[in-house]
Amino acid sequence: MNGLWLVAQREIRTRIRTKSYLISLAVSAILVAALAFLPRVLGGDDTYDVGVVGQAPPPAAQLAYSRLPDEAAARKAVVDGDVDAALINGDKVLADGELDQRLGLILESVHRDAQISAAGLTITPLTVESVGADARYQGVRTGIATLIVMVLFFLLIYSSMFVAMGVVEEKGSRIVEILLTSVRPWQLLGGKIVGLGALGLVNLVVVIVAGLAASSATGFTADFPPGMGGIVVSAVVWFVLGYAFFSALAAAFGSLVSRQEELNTVLTPMTMLMMFTYLTAYFAAVEPAGTVARVLSFVPPFSSMVMPVRTAAVDVPLVEILVAGVLMVVAVVAVLLGAARVYRRAVLRTGARVKLGEVVR
Amino acid sequence: MLEIDGLRKRYGDKTALDGVGFAVRPGEMFGFVGANGAGKTTTMRIVMGVLDADSGEVRLDGRPLTYDDRRTFGYMPEERGLYQKMKVAEQIEYFGRLHGLAPAAARSATAALIERLGLAERRDDAVEALSLGNQQRVQLAVALVHEPAVLILDEPFSGLDPLAVDALAEVLKDRAAAGVPVIFSSHQLDLVEQLCDSVGIISAGRMVAYGPVGDLREREGRGVLRVVVRDAAPGWADRLPGALTREGDRDVLLCEEGDDQDILRTAIGAGKVEHFGRRQPTLAEIFREAVA
Repeated sequence: MNGLWLVAQREIRTRIRTKSYLISLAVSAILVAALAFLPRVLGGDDTYDVGVVGQAPPPAAQLAYSRLPDEAAARKAVVDGDVDAALINGDKVLADGELDQRLGLILESVHRDAQISAAGLTITPLTVESVGADARYQGVRTGIATLIVMVLFFLLIYSSMFVAMGVVEEKGSRIVEILLTSVRPWQLLGGKIVGLGALGLVNLVVVIVAGLAASSATGFTADFPPGMGGIVVSAVVWFVLGYAFFSALAAAFGSLVSRQEELNTVLTPMTMLMMFTYLTAYFAAVEPAGTVARVLSFVPPFSSMVMPVRTAAVDVPLVEILVAGVLMVVAVVAVLLGAARVYRRAVLRTGARVKLGEVVR
Repeated sequence: MLEIDGLRKRYGDKTALDGVGFAVRPGEMFGFVGANGAGKTTTMRIVMGVLDADSGEVRLDGRPLTYDDRRTFGYMPEERGLYQKMKVAEQIEYFGRLHGLAPAAARSATAALIERLGLAERRDDAVEALSLGNQQRVQLAVALVHEPAVLILDEPFSGLDPLAVDALAEVLKDRAAAGVPVIFSSHQLDLVEQLCDSVGIISAGRMVAYGPVGDLREREGRGVLRVVVRDAAPGWADRLPGALTREGDRDVLLCEEGDDQDILRTAIGAGKVEHFGRRQPTLAEIFREAVA
């Protein structure tokens, strides 16, 4: 175990000092934070700025009033775009061209309310009851699910790639010959996977923290669905499982070749599987309640991305999550054992590419 | 005592090792020589467990070698390998730790080796920034950092400048003096002759000669008889075996066979004998003879 830990430590120490790691850490954090700001930027505000001259209308949730001295100033403010519309003495609206339809409806209803209350009448608002599933947070949940797909995919492919590159580096430089006289193959392989996985996990946590911080800065947290903590924890746990699965595959395929140039070719089956997992997860984010998403959220390795997406997008019974988790753990153990076997047999056979069939028997 | 016994290894239909065996005592320096492809590297890789033999065994003090034994060995493979982007001192220390040294011990052993191998100024440089000769020194340090119980070095001297050769030779002598069996392969036969207590010559997967350097000399060539005679009449050696050459006013006769006493009497009768003796063959000559 000590050997594994030493190897892991070296991986962390070596990699964490590289510029590329720090840059990717910063870039991914900034990207996710920017995504949290995106709704504000794209969707603009939910509220309209309305300039008010003279008599003030009653307050309304989606309207932000600003006082203007006179109609001339109001005209200028509308044309300059400082306000979305201006209300003159409670009965005239100035707009730049056609009035925004929704704003028009709101102003109309505010105007009506004002007249009704002036007439001494009170009206009770309609009560709304949903007879379907609670869909209030559906948009946000789908958004979060999509984000999880992207982040998980990026981190999985990137961390697994580094495992494969590390394996080839050691094999190609023959340093593995010396290493394997002082550590066991499983310690060397395990240490590499654990070390680089820890760095991937750090990256994931940084991304999550950046996303949450940016969300709270923009006030977006108010829109978070209940159970956000569970969504985050599920993403982290599934990342660990998915990473263990794909990095073990990457290491096994990587150990077949001696040169970095050959790596892309030999990794193709793994990258294909990963792309396919990504696509199914993306599909699941779009249609989280569908049968395909439901079935694939149980099948390893698809479950590693589909299940966290489903948990984010819809309410998944705990039993289903646990069953999917157990299945994935079984798959991870199987892949790790297989990868250790391939690695042990292939990593000392330098030179031409080793055929997978020769080492799995 | 490290015993290598009846190692056989085939790659497809090519026989790499065909019953290689020798033993190295504690404190003995063993020179492993042979042409390229003769089987030196394969033998060493089997000793280190990097390769499995088809049959045969490697024993340490009478027991088959285990993984834990090998962890205490120092190994320098034929194909050098270091982490190119890792710093010199950090790298040596890391290998010390992998071999089971405690952090403080790894650090002090690293410092001592860096000093001894003349790498002090490069200790914080990445390996890739070093000259090949210096990378080689780092490679040696990696093999030596944990005070190995057995040293297996594949061509440790190749690519070193004379100063580095001396430094390495000193380190190896030190380790041998401390009771460590040292095996190294080399094509520099003069070096092997100087350093080693015994030599093994391998050819096409078989040990063709093996033993203490002095014994080999006596066994391999009894020595060529060399006679130098001055002012001898031409034709004096016609009835003697061997080859006659003339160097100035001296005749030099080299005989591999024949009755030496008869040759001496003839020479004395012919002129003034300036030299009469058997010449010890060099290791290079023994080697050529053995692999021919």
